[in-house]
Amino acid sequence: MLGILRGMGVTFKNFVASYLHPRKPEGLDTAGLVTLQYPEEKLQEKEGFRNFPFLVYDGTVDNIRCVSCDICAKECPPKCIYIVRDTDEQGRPVKRPKVFDIDFTVCMNCGICEEACPFDAIFMDHEFEISGYERQQSLVYHRDQLLKPDTHFAKIRPTDHAAIEERRKKEAEKKAAAAQAAAQAAQAKPAPPEAPPPPSPTQ
Amino acid sequence: MDQMFVNLKKALLDSLAPFLPMEGVAFVSVVVSISAIAVFGPFTMMYLTWFERKLVGRIQNRIGPNRVGIFGLLQPIADGIKMLTKEDIVPTGADRVVHFLAPVVVVIPALLVFSVIPFGRNMVAVDLNVGLIFFIAVSATTTIAIFMGSWASRNKFSLLGGMRTVAQLVSYEVPMILSLVPAVLAAGSLSTVDIVEAQGGWNGLKWFVFTPWGLVAFFLFYLCGVAECNRTPFDIPEAESEIVAGFHTEYSGMKFALWYMAEFMNVFTVSALTATLYLGGYQGPLLPSWAWFMIKTYALVFVMMWFRGTLPRLRVDQLMGLAWKFLLPLALINILVTSAWYFIPGLALRLAVSIAILGASFWGLVTLNRPFVPEKRIYEFAE
Amino acid sequence: MTLEIFAKISVYSVLALSLVAALGVVLFPSIFHAALCLVGALVGVAILYIALHAEFIAVVQILLYVGAVMTLVIFAIMLTHRIGDQTIPQANKQSLPALLSLACFVGLLGSLFLKTKWPVGPAHTEPVSAFVLGKALLGEYVFPFEVVSVILIAGLIGAVVIARKD
Repeated sequence: MLGILRGMGVTFKNFVASYLHPRKPEGLDTAGLVTLQYPEEKLQEKEGFRNFPFLVYDGTVDNIRCVSCDICAKECPPKCIYIVRDTDEQGRPVKRPKVFDIDFTVCMNCGICEEACPFDAIFMDHEFEISGYERQQSLVYHRDQLLKPDTHFAKIRPTDHAAIEERRKKEAEKKAAAAQAAAQAAQAKPAPPEAPPPPSPTQ
Repeated sequence: MDQMFVNLKKALLDSLAPFLPMEGVAFVSVVVSISAIAVFGPFTMMYLTWFERKLVGRIQNRIGPNRVGIFGLLQPIADGIKMLTKEDIVPTGADRVVHFLAPVVVVIPALLVFSVIPFGRNMVAVDLNVGLIFFIAVSATTTIAIFMGSWASRNKFSLLGGMRTVAQLVSYEVPMILSLVPAVLAAGSLSTVDIVEAQGGWNGLKWFVFTPWGLVAFFLFYLCGVAECNRTPFDIPEAESEIVAGFHTEYSGMKFALWYMAEFMNVFTVSALTATLYLGGYQGPLLPSWAWFMIKTYALVFVMMWFRGTLPRLRVDQLMGLAWKFLLPLALINILVTSAWYFIPGLALRLAVSIAILGASFWGLVTLNRPFVPEKRIYEFAE
Repeated sequence: MTLEIFAKISVYSVLALSLVAALGVVLFPSIFHAALCLVGALVGVAILYIALHAEFIAVVQILLYVGAVMTLVIFAIMLTHRIGDQTIPQANKQSLPALLSLACFVGLLGSLFLKTKWPVGPAHTEPVSAFVLGKALLGEYVFPFEVVSVILIAGLIGAVVIARKD
């Protein structure tokens, strides 16, 4: 009997609190409304929110990071990525994708393409409010629809962006250091012609 | 202000009097009362569904429907349109005539009870001098309709659900009727209007609920009423996790809407009758009588919906045990105490005796009805 | 005047409907439908009581017959295993002897009714209310009342004995 009354007290407290606290405060025994009126109010996006992929470019639309290596298409579990490498005027392949199609009705948002890409070119976006009236025209995204600037990536995933930028900077520095050392070695090679050439590090 | 609706009706009849013979006026008077009830009943039911959804939503930390109109007020209309346009499915092996008639037969008693409820001073549709027994008789007819519904579906599970429902309804009728008797004893008449008038002392506050026997009878009648309406915690017949939906599994569209309508009208009439019998009906100090009636009835409806939002469901055997082993003896003892109240002289002695007897019997019944919990066994490992 | 005619027509039509329902009890092949027609017939009888200004009896008729007795009958139908099966014949082949004996019975009773001189008592100006009935039951007719309660207790005890699991 008392238990019933105590239970009814709890629900009454919840009822009254739903009018007093329009947003439920944090904590265990608090009460209040938890409803978000969806299109007008949205949940704050978490950083690791994983949705459909997008391609990154640095600066202008011509600097696509993707080199069309096809690794993401091979790793994709439902095989929703289709890549065709670009060719230049003579027909020699160029490190750019001409066609990069992702079928969003097949994509299962697993993120394996992002983990597999060695060039940090494809990442998972936070877009989920996409819908269309038919499948082929509106829900298969082509290369130009998928391209988004690096600043967008920085905005939606700041910590990942910071980590990746640091890694890329380190790699760039190492490459620059290696290139400089190679240039120094190449420079040091033809200078003394009579002295026997010191063994170069490439040997 | 108090007699606003009565004066409206009289004005209408006076305006028609020159055109009609005397029987015509009587006929129009009856038709006006009936149409008032026929409009008020389903309208109440629609907005009771709205009230329930909002209330249970707020109890569960969410808003109820709020998109369809302001505060979701047009939601019942949307629900009505949905139910009207749904396909009417009748199972192949079902008994078509009985399947069709069952929801009809269950709405009839629900609407008929509205005719003996006093909505305000001089505002009862028919002042029967056996009004209370009319209510009981007509509620008893609901059991037949539920049987019809469960049988006609030609579905073993509906049949099982229907039989459980009828067992529940029949068991809870007995304490319900017995808990009406104290009010009848105190008022000396079976008419609902007389019972309300008998609670008119103390400037409209001498309600039966303020006496010990009245309090017990109020709780008994209200609990049995909640069981009669098949509401939580007694909603085994129609809960979704029990036998799909019990006796109304095979109904869709408008027929389901009729079952639903009958249930909500029953909620309203049971609350209204509890308010009439024990909470003083339309008696009250300042506000007009129909306002008091509505406040009391809706307070009781709020409590019924509060129960729904809070309590888990009782199991069938716990439910029947509650009716026969607890509520029925308590109701019988309550009748004794009521009559003792009217024969013992002196207020203090009356109060003492009634509270003593009622308290002792309540405690005794609770102790005797304790469920058997075997003592904890201590297992020792065999080495 | 028109009200009287209206009242007469409605009462006679209700009586006719309850006669049809009573016929339905006997003639329907499915026993559940027969039980439902019995409900209809009993409600018709209750309406007849209302027309005769005996509201208390009407309401008690609905409460007891429709609410209790018919519920019991329908429970019995539900619990009996194959009674709803359409292949079990509900009627036997003895309709002709039954009709003949019924005709004799009706003839006998009819002539009895027509030949008796029924004394006409003084008209009751006030309807019999629950109060008057209660006083009579506990005053003048208390002995049959107590005998009926003893019979009811005997019935209850019998039910408990039959339903025990020993």
